Amino acid sequence: MKDANERGKVSRRGFLAGGAATIVTVAVSGATMLLDPGGAWAIELDHLTQEQARVLLQLVRDLFPHPRIAETYYARAIQPLNDEAGRNGSTKKLLADGISQLNRFSKAGPGKTYADVANEGARVAAIKRIEQGPFFAKVYGTTVVSFYNQPALWPIFGYEGPSSAKGGYLHRGFDDLDWL
Amino acid sequence: MPAKFDLNDSSVVVIIGSGAGGGVLANELAQRGISVVVLEAGKRLQMSDIKNDEVAMFGLFTWMDPRTTTGTWTVAKLWPTLPVWTCKLVGGTTVHWGAVALRFQEHEFKPRTRYGSVAGANLIDWPIDLKEMEPYYERAEEKMGVSGRNGMPLLPISNHGKVLFAGAKKLGYKEYRVPTMGINSVPHDGRASCQQTGFCIQGCTFQAKWSTMYVEIPKAEATGRAEIRAESQALRIEHDAKGKVTGVVYADKNGVQHRQKARIVCLAANAIESPRLLLNSESSMFPQGLANSSGQVGRNYMKHTTGTVFAVFEKPVHMYRGTAQSGIVMDEARLDPSRGFVGGYQMELLPQGLPSFAQNVMPGGWGRERAWVLDRYANVAGLWVIGEDLPQEKNRITVHADKKDQFGMPIPNVHFDDHPNDTAMREHGYKQGAALYDAIGAKKIVKVPPYPSTHNMGTNRMADHPRDGVVNRYGQSHDVKNLFVSDGSQFPSSGGENPTLTIVALALRQSEYIAEQMKKGAI
Repeated sequence: MKDANERGKVSRRGFLAGGAATIVTVAVSGATMLLDPGGAWAIELDHLTQEQARVLLQLVRDLFPHPRIAETYYARAIQPLNDEAGRNGSTKKLLADGISQLNRFSKAGPGKTYADVANEGARVAAIKRIEQGPFFAKVYGTTVVSFYNQPALWPIFGYEGPSSAKGGYLHRGFDDLDWL
Repeated sequence: MPAKFDLNDSSVVVIIGSGAGGGVLANELAQRGISVVVLEAGKRLQMSDIKNDEVAMFGLFTWMDPRTTTGTWTVAKLWPTLPVWTCKLVGGTTVHWGAVALRFQEHEFKPRTRYGSVAGANLIDWPIDLKEMEPYYERAEEKMGVSGRNGMPLLPISNHGKVLFAGAKKLGYKEYRVPTMGINSVPHDGRASCQQTGFCIQGCTFQAKWSTMYVEIPKAEATGRAEIRAESQALRIEHDAKGKVTGVVYADKNGVQHRQKARIVCLAANAIESPRLLLNSESSMFPQGLANSSGQVGRNYMKHTTGTVFAVFEKPVHMYRGTAQSGIVMDEARLDPSRGFVGGYQMELLPQGLPSFAQNVMPGGWGRERAWVLDRYANVAGLWVIGEDLPQEKNRITVHADKKDQFGMPIPNVHFDDHPNDTAMREHGYKQGAALYDAIGAKKIVKVPPYPSTHNMGTNRMADHPRDGVVNRYGQSHDVKNLFVSDGSQFPSSGGENPTLTIVALALRQSEYIAEQMKKGAI
């Protein structure tokens, strides 16, 4: 794993909705990498530019704003979009055009993107302008599954996942409700 | 040991579909010594393929051949490429069903007589009545092992049920209980009892839930007179110059077409594919579609009036724990036009795991309000309104002239507009469902529009007169004596009950009739 400063640009960007800067986007050998600054994980997004990755990350965070959920889960959620962009040229174009449009609608200003807009209301207004279109449908349709269908996320929401191997819930609290 | 019949063996009964209708019929006929070939479009899964994974199982067993949908129903807007959720595998939709096993009420067999003439609704009475159906309901419940009947206790009450019943009681309802279900509460028929797994809808890994996949199909095969041909998608039903069906053309898993000859053909492909097959089997003798002199093939499509109410509480519910649909409130199932609609509805538990809930709680929804609900997923309870919708001629399955599937066959369109009676019932159900949860301190209520239809009925309906329907009181085509309809497309009305038990009862009855007619040489 290359050192972050070795090649290409480094940009540090936090999640505006979440607070502290966390994910680092890096260009390594032409591919965008999302890095945990603590070095715990890295996700390669070889068909998205750094800018596109940052916009998609912020967009998914705004679609599904869960304060308790760490950025890593949002980063993983956009991976299928990257992979589809690699397989399918029209998806790649759809994402590129949609991101450009979102940037314009968010009134980010010259050289800036949706991800740079600090005001959540402004970002939400931009999403509302695109939510009937195919870019939104692609991003939403993919990430509503890829975000919530991460087993490591489930305990945070209080969902216990697969049950048969544990003998079902017959002896694990299927009827333990005590507040009624 | 399973049979194997020659394609040119015209003595066999060919059944299209292996679900509640086709699977039961296959077993009944085979047990009576009749040779049967079941053509099942889907794969044969092993029990090891059934996993507690909502997304994976959806992808594995859902019928996803292309369909379109039109009409004012909200499904056309929210689920434009998936108007219907039924299954494509050996066992059909019985692998997926929630196992609520209810008999129709007496008046639901006679809606034209009991509701009167309703403008815009194509009401007719069933040719049969509850009295005639009772022995078959009885036998169906025995064969399936319905808990709450025949000495098998009802399943126990879960957390989710406790919430439903507390709200029902507060609201003054009386008819709330665990429903009779096609799920073992004790070991029965060589299958385990329910372990409260919570993934009923994804397939029961313990086989506690009845399904033709592991009950009727293996029993049929064990007679040596039934052959189940999986990955065999029926394309056309053929007939001779006398107008009798002679066989079924189907495609195998490589897309190669074969013709299985038949003495009798029974259509049990569920209520979209069964009429589609008849329409795609049009010929110069049957220009409107095979067996469609009435013009009713594909028409009168019903899917129950449905809607979901979710409620967020301050304390945990864990709705995903335990048998999914093990709670029902039946007070609104009565016939009571003073409420502003005819027909009645049930309120049934309908939990979801997190991945499904995220997709369904507010379809297409996003942002803080939705995230607030999702953050409290563990404290969510939900009920499903499921009630009688009225048949309308214009609600129908048609086939496209120009859109074809992977086998070159015209694909179906599902058209549906709500009838004012349906809308009034749904609004009432939303109001009562919300009131039920509000009565016990819900912090927030979310009303969800109908999901892709899991109950599909009416599209080859029974009628005494050949002008009014496609089949007679035995599901036998009026036009073609050796052609039967054996699935829910036979229903002239939808009733306010989940359809599977009635489909099974009808299949038991039809198997007797077919066997008698064959013995007499009449077909």
